[in-house]
Amino acid sequence: MAAWARAVRGLLLDVSGVLYDSGGDGGVPIAGSVEAVRRIKASGLKLRFCTNETQATREKFVKKLQGMGFDISVDEVTAPAPAACRILKERSLRPHLLVHNDLVPEFAEIDKANPNCVVIGDAAENFTYANLNEAFRVLIGMEKPVLISLGRGRYYKETDGLKLDVGAYMKALEYACDVQAEVVGKPAKMFFESALAEMGVPPQQAIMIGDDIVNDVGGAQRCGMRALQVRTGKYRSVEALRPALRGGNRGKRGSNCR
Amino acid sequence: MPGRRMAARRALKTVLVDLSGTLHIEDSAVPGAQEALKRLRSAPVTIRFVTNTTKECKRDLLERLTKLGFDIAENEIFTSLTAARNLLEQRQVRPLLLVDDKALPDFTGIATDDPNAVVVGLAPEHFHYEMMNRAFRLILDGAPLIAIHKARYFKKKDGLALGPGPFVAGLEYATDTKATVVGKPEKTFFLEALRGTGCVPEEAVMIGDDCRDDVGGAQNAGMRGILVRTGKYRPADEDKINPAPYLTCENFPEAVEHILEHLL
Repeated sequence: MAAWARAVRGLLLDVSGVLYDSGGDGGVPIAGSVEAVRRIKASGLKLRFCTNETQATREKFVKKLQGMGFDISVDEVTAPAPAACRILKERSLRPHLLVHNDLVPEFAEIDKANPNCVVIGDAAENFTYANLNEAFRVLIGMEKPVLISLGRGRYYKETDGLKLDVGAYMKALEYACDVQAEVVGKPAKMFFESALAEMGVPPQQAIMIGDDIVNDVGGAQRCGMRALQVRTGKYRSVEALRPALRGGNRGKRGSNCR
Repeated sequence: MPGRRMAARRALKTVLVDLSGTLHIEDSAVPGAQEALKRLRSAPVTIRFVTNTTKECKRDLLERLTKLGFDIAENEIFTSLTAARNLLEQRQVRPLLLVDDKALPDFTGIATDDPNAVVVGLAPEHFHYEMMNRAFRLILDGAPLIAIHKARYFKKKDGLALGPGPFVAGLEYATDTKATVVGKPEKTFFLEALRGTGCVPEEAVMIGDDCRDDVGGAQNAGMRGILVRTGKYRPADEDKINPAPYLTCENFPEAVEHILEHLL
């Protein structure tokens, strides 16, 4: 075994784009991933699923993955909604929720009457003009608008193509209200640190595996972990990205990631 | 070098006139404005009527102005929608149009099948998840994003409502690109308004009631700006831009008098 690998005691695994691709039909496991998770668990390495998915409660999310053959349980999952609930309780915040319908049960214990903040998640079809306007009106009516965003991803891959993630709509509300959102979930340092604490492994002995170069890999490395970038999910090759990085010539970029 | 600039100042060839707040306030003409326009037409200048809008096509604007007694031709009107159309023609692209249905007549003749560009105006009926994803994927693949303007919000009878700006900002973030904004106060708006008049900005003057968007924007493009104290004007607005307006006066008729007396 390579010297660097001997020091590794735990893995943080991103889920969407690493283990499976989400989609309207429930999604599709990525080839070999079910077996890979089994091998990790058999090896004695500690494992934690570190996801920003906010389209369902942890229970529903885990059931979906178990249905695909993954060996996963709710107490192995670090997700944004429970982390947000802790913060809301600590700061006596009562949220107006702009989230997917299936995530609402995660906030069952939270007082939502007379909201004094907005919590935005990956609301997908709930990102209607009317719903965004409602959230905007709550924020603009506050003296000091508090916007909590469950993640800040730009987009993710589903079985039927790339889709806008919560980050795009977070930016929309930030721009509308001239306010900056607080991010709960990757790439926030606190999120990775709580996942590591739950696993009982220090950052130097952990590796994060993800498909999102900014939110998974970048965020993990800023905590002192090493991180692996996989070429599945939302990953786009450097060739595909180069025109965007250059900013100027945008003519002939191929859509080689779909 | 003010002295040198004075010597190089050229004769006036074109007058740009803002509409709402300058020629008319809602459904009433500014008193004396119709007459003033007639007088301006007696001078050897080209006149263009300019405005930001995302949902009024030229035909509708013309109808409203004609009803108020103004003698105007459709091809003298230049709006942010016109600016968007010109840009599409220049770049020879086919747009996905996220604009109000009422704006569509200004895009007649532009091919929209198999789009390779995205145009965003104020269009709540198009800002749902599915359409936003369509726009997002096109832009991610290299399609230019054109914004009619980036207003954050506007006033409605029942409260504030999101403008197109937040949706443009969201698309910019998701695709890591910058939109081309075509409306006032962008420089390109004013330069486009002069296209076809055969004159350069230094030979043009803009008359408007919005110090930042009308006068500031025009002067930033190299024109002279005349601020009128009608419409949305508030006392001391003229102190808010640097350089200050070339002239601040009471209203459109006074602005016309100044032009006829001093700038021809």
